[in-house]
Amino acid sequence: MITFQSIFAALGICLVLTGSMANAQKHPRELTQPTPLSFTPPKPVEFTLNNGIRVYFLEDRELPLVSISAILPGGSIYEKPANAGLASLTGSVMRTGGTQSISGDDLDRELEFLAATVEATMGEEYANVTASCLKKDFHRVVQLYADVIMHPAFPQAKIDQAKNQMKESIRRRWDQPAAAAGILFTEQELGGTPFGYRATAKTLKAITRDDLMAFHEAFFSPRRLSIGISGDLSREEASAALEKAFAGWKATEASLPQLPALQERSDGTIYYAYRDAPQASVVIGHLGIRRNNPDEDRLEVMNDIFGGRGFTARLMKEIRSNRGLTYGIYGGVFAGTDRGFFRIASQLKADRCVEALALVKQMIGDLQNTPVPEEELTVSKESLINGFVFQFESRERIPQMYIQNRLDGYPDDHFDTYISKIKNVTARDVQEVARKYMDTGKMIIVVVGDEKKFDKPLSSLGRVQAIDYKKIAESDKSED
Amino acid sequence: MKHSFAIFSWVAALLLVASVIATGQNLEEKVTVHTLKNGLTVIFVERHGVPTFSTIYGFKVGAVDEVPGITGVAHLFEHMAFKGTPKIGTSDFEKERPIMEQSNTVGKELSLELLKGDRADRAKITKNREDLARLDREQKAYVVKDEIDKIYSAAGGVGLNASTGSDMTQYYISLPSNRFELFCLVESERMKNAVLREFYTERSVVQEERKQTTEAVPSRMLGEAFLAAAFIAHPYNHPVVGWASDINSVTLEEAQAFKKKYYTPNNCVMTIVGDIFPASAIPLVEKYFGDYPAGSEPPVLRTVEPKQLGERRVRYEADAEPQLMIGFHKPTFPSRDDAIFTVISNILTSGRSSILYSDLVKEKQLVASVNASSSMPGSRFPNLFTLMASPRYPHTNEEVEQALLAHLEQLKTVPVSDSALQKVKNALEASEIRVMRSNMGLARTLTRYQLLYGDWKYYLKLKETVNGVTAQDIMTCAKQYFSPENRTTAYLVKKSK
Repeated sequence: MITFQSIFAALGICLVLTGSMANAQKHPRELTQPTPLSFTPPKPVEFTLNNGIRVYFLEDRELPLVSISAILPGGSIYEKPANAGLASLTGSVMRTGGTQSISGDDLDRELEFLAATVEATMGEEYANVTASCLKKDFHRVVQLYADVIMHPAFPQAKIDQAKNQMKESIRRRWDQPAAAAGILFTEQELGGTPFGYRATAKTLKAITRDDLMAFHEAFFSPRRLSIGISGDLSREEASAALEKAFAGWKATEASLPQLPALQERSDGTIYYAYRDAPQASVVIGHLGIRRNNPDEDRLEVMNDIFGGRGFTARLMKEIRSNRGLTYGIYGGVFAGTDRGFFRIASQLKADRCVEALALVKQMIGDLQNTPVPEEELTVSKESLINGFVFQFESRERIPQMYIQNRLDGYPDDHFDTYISKIKNVTARDVQEVARKYMDTGKMIIVVVGDEKKFDKPLSSLGRVQAIDYKKIAESDKSED
Repeated sequence: MKHSFAIFSWVAALLLVASVIATGQNLEEKVTVHTLKNGLTVIFVERHGVPTFSTIYGFKVGAVDEVPGITGVAHLFEHMAFKGTPKIGTSDFEKERPIMEQSNTVGKELSLELLKGDRADRAKITKNREDLARLDREQKAYVVKDEIDKIYSAAGGVGLNASTGSDMTQYYISLPSNRFELFCLVESERMKNAVLREFYTERSVVQEERKQTTEAVPSRMLGEAFLAAAFIAHPYNHPVVGWASDINSVTLEEAQAFKKKYYTPNNCVMTIVGDIFPASAIPLVEKYFGDYPAGSEPPVLRTVEPKQLGERRVRYEADAEPQLMIGFHKPTFPSRDDAIFTVISNILTSGRSSILYSDLVKEKQLVASVNASSSMPGSRFPNLFTLMASPRYPHTNEEVEQALLAHLEQLKTVPVSDSALQKVKNALEASEIRVMRSNMGLARTLTRYQLLYGDWKYYLKLKETVNGVTAQDIMTCAKQYFSPENRTTAYLVKKSK
C-alpha cells in the first residue's frame, strides 16, 4: 500500500461543518492537514500463451471497451545507415498493407465501421501494436490484430505509397525553426550512429519489399512479444481469445543485433544556422545516462527542480516568469538505451537570446555549486510523491507500464519502491548528480535564427560553427 | 458503394444501439448538477476507481468578445489568472501594492509612447524602461513566484493549465481526491480576487508565445490569414493570441475591465469528475464560491457577418511547403444543418476509409494530409465548414483545390452510401463511450455543452440528431452551402527565393 502525505493542508470532507466561519481571504497553508490517501495501485495478472507470448491482463468493467497493446524490441536503432527509414516504413505498412487474408483497404473499412482501431508503429527502440474496440467486437478485432502482427502482406503498392508520404514529410520537416534545431542537434550529437541515422529520399529509394519482410521477421516473434490487455472481459476470455488468435505462430530465434557503444563527442561548440525566424530556436546538451543507472531517482528530483514542466522549475521561473524571454523552456538528464541524453530546448526572444543562453549556463553552475534550499527540495519531492497516483489513473495504461518496465530491465518492484526512493533524495544528492551528469564545458548549443537580431554575437559565449541547413534540407530531398 | 462488408451493418447497428443506451443512462445516473444562487453551475460526475479528480471550469468569453485594439486580451487575462491573489503569491501585499500601481502607470505610459512609432520620444521610452526595471526589482522582494503552481504541485496536482479559444476560456487541474477543499479555496480566490501582478513581464511572455506558436508555424499563419478574409465584420476573424500590435500595447486596466465584464459566476460552468461525493462536496463549493458576487449579463455581440457575395482568395508566402484551406459559411448549433455538417466532415476525412483520404491520400496520392472541420473557429456564432490540405510534391495547391472542389460537387448529386453514413453514426456512439474513460476528457465535454449550449444533455442528444441525418440531407446541404460565392480559399505559397 502506498500512503500519500503532504506539508500543505486540506482536509477534504470532514471539515465542512467547521467552515461556517466568515470566509475571509486565506492562504492554503491555513487549511487543516488532509487525511492521507491510501491507495493500492492495481497490478496486472501475468500469464504466458502456449507459443510463448507473455500477457499482462487487467480487468476493467467500467465501460464496454477492450484495449490491447503489444510492445517488443525493434526499431530504427537496428537499421543500417543506407536503409534509414526502414523501421518506420515497416511499422506503417504492417497496418496499411493489410495481411495475407485481408487487404489494407478492407481492413480500414472494416475497423472504421466498427469504430475500432489497430495501429502498428516501429519507433527508435521498440515496436508497438495497439488495438481498441467495443467489447462486442473483441473477437473479430483481436483476430485482425493478431493477423497484422503475424502475417502482414507488405504489398508493393502500399510500400510505394508509404515511401511517398515519408518523402513528403522529409520535404516538410524543416518548415518550422524549432524542428530544424532538433534535427541539427541530433545530427551533431548522434549523426552517423544508430541513434542518429536520418531517413532521406535516397535511403528510402534503396529500401525494398524484401527489406521490410526481413525487418519484420527479425523482431516479431512470440517470445519477444508482450501483450497488455485490459477492459470489459475476464482473464479466461482474454486468454482463450489470444490463444486462438495467435495459434500456430512459431518462434524465430534470431538474436538482437549488438549496438556499438556511443562515444561522447560534444565539445562545447555552438552551431549556428541562419534562418529568417521571429525567435532563436535553441537546443542545448550532450549525452545522458544508460537506463538502470542507480542515480535515476536523484536525477528525477533534479530534473523536476531544474527544468520540469511546471512554473516552479528554475528554468521556467527565471527565463519565462521573471524575465519574459520565452513561452517555454524545459530540460533535464534522461535515461536511454545506451546513453540517453541531457537536453534543454526553448524558443527565445531574439533580441535577448544570448542573455538567456548565458543564464542557462549560469543556472546549471548554481545547481552544481550550491545545494538546493530545503523548501524547494520539499516541494519537488512532494510533487513527485503526491502526484504518483496519477500514473495509475488510466487502467488501460497499467499493463503497458508493467511491460515497458520489464523490457527496460527495471526490477519488478519498481513502482512499489518509487515513493520511498524519492523520499530519500537529499539536497546533496541533487548537487552531486548535477555535477556528475551536466557539463557546461562540453554541452553543445544549436541555434536556429537570425543572429543580426540577437543582443550579442554568439561568439561571446564560445566557439561558433555555422551550418547551412538549406544545403542539408536539399540533399535530404535528393534521391541520388 | 463498392465495399464488401455491408453485412456488418445490421448486426453492428443493433448491438451498438443497445450498448449506447446503457451508457447514456449510466452517465445521466452519475451526473449531479448544482447551481449556486449567484448563477455558478457546477456539474459533478462520480467515478470512484482511483482517488483523484479532474476539474475544468470555463467562462463563456474568448477572442470573439474582444474589440479592435485589444485583441488577445482574453488570452492574456488567462495568463494573468495564475499570478495569485492578495494572499497567494505575495509575502506582504500591502507593501507590494503601491509598487505595482506605480509600475502599471509607467507600463501604460510606455505602451502608449511606443504606439507613436517613429514620432515616439526615445528619451521617455528609455526612462520608462529603466523605471519599470527598477520597480520590477522592488516588487520582486515581495512576490512569491508562481505560488499557485507551487501549492498544487506539492499537493500532487497535475495538469495545471488553462486554454483560451474563440468562444471560451477554461482552467484545468487534477488533484488527489483528499485535496478538494484546497481546490475550492485556490480557485474561488482566483476568481474573486485575482491580482494581476507582473503584468508587463507576462505580456512579454505572450509576445513570445505568439511568435512561437503562430509566426513560426506556417499552418497557423495561414489559418490567421484565412479567418481574417472569411469574416469581414464578425470578430471570429480575431486570432485568439491577438495581433502582435495589440499584445504589445494592451494595458492592465484594459485586462481588468475585460475581466470584470465577463468573469462572473453567472457566465461560468465548473465540472468536477472523479472520486468525489456531491453530498459532501456541494457544501464546500457553497462555502467558497457562494460569496462570489453575481455580475450583470455579459454584453450581447451585435455584429452579424453579412452574407458573403463572392469568392475570396488569400495568399500567404513563407519559407515552407505549400498548404491550402477552403471554407464555407454555415449556421451553428442548434441548427440541424450544423449536425449535418458534423456528418459531412466525418464522411470526408475521418479515417483511412473516408472519401477524401481514400481518394486523395491513398488512390491519387495528391496530398500528404487532408482534414475537415465543421465549426471553425468556434460554435457560439455562425461559423465555417473548412477543408485543409497539404499537397504532395510535385502536386500543387491548384491541383488539390480542383480535386477537393470536385468532391464537394459530387456530394451535391451523388448520395453517400448507407455504410458510410452508418460508419459515422457508429463512430459517434463509440466516442461517447470512450470519452468516459478519462476524468478530464469527460469534464471537458460536459463543460463545453453546458457552457456553450446551456445544457450538458445536448451531448447525449447529438446522437439522436446525427442518427436522423440522411443521404438526402447531405445533398441538400451541399447544394445550399458549397457555392463559389460562399467560399474563401487561402494558399500558403513557398517563397520563390
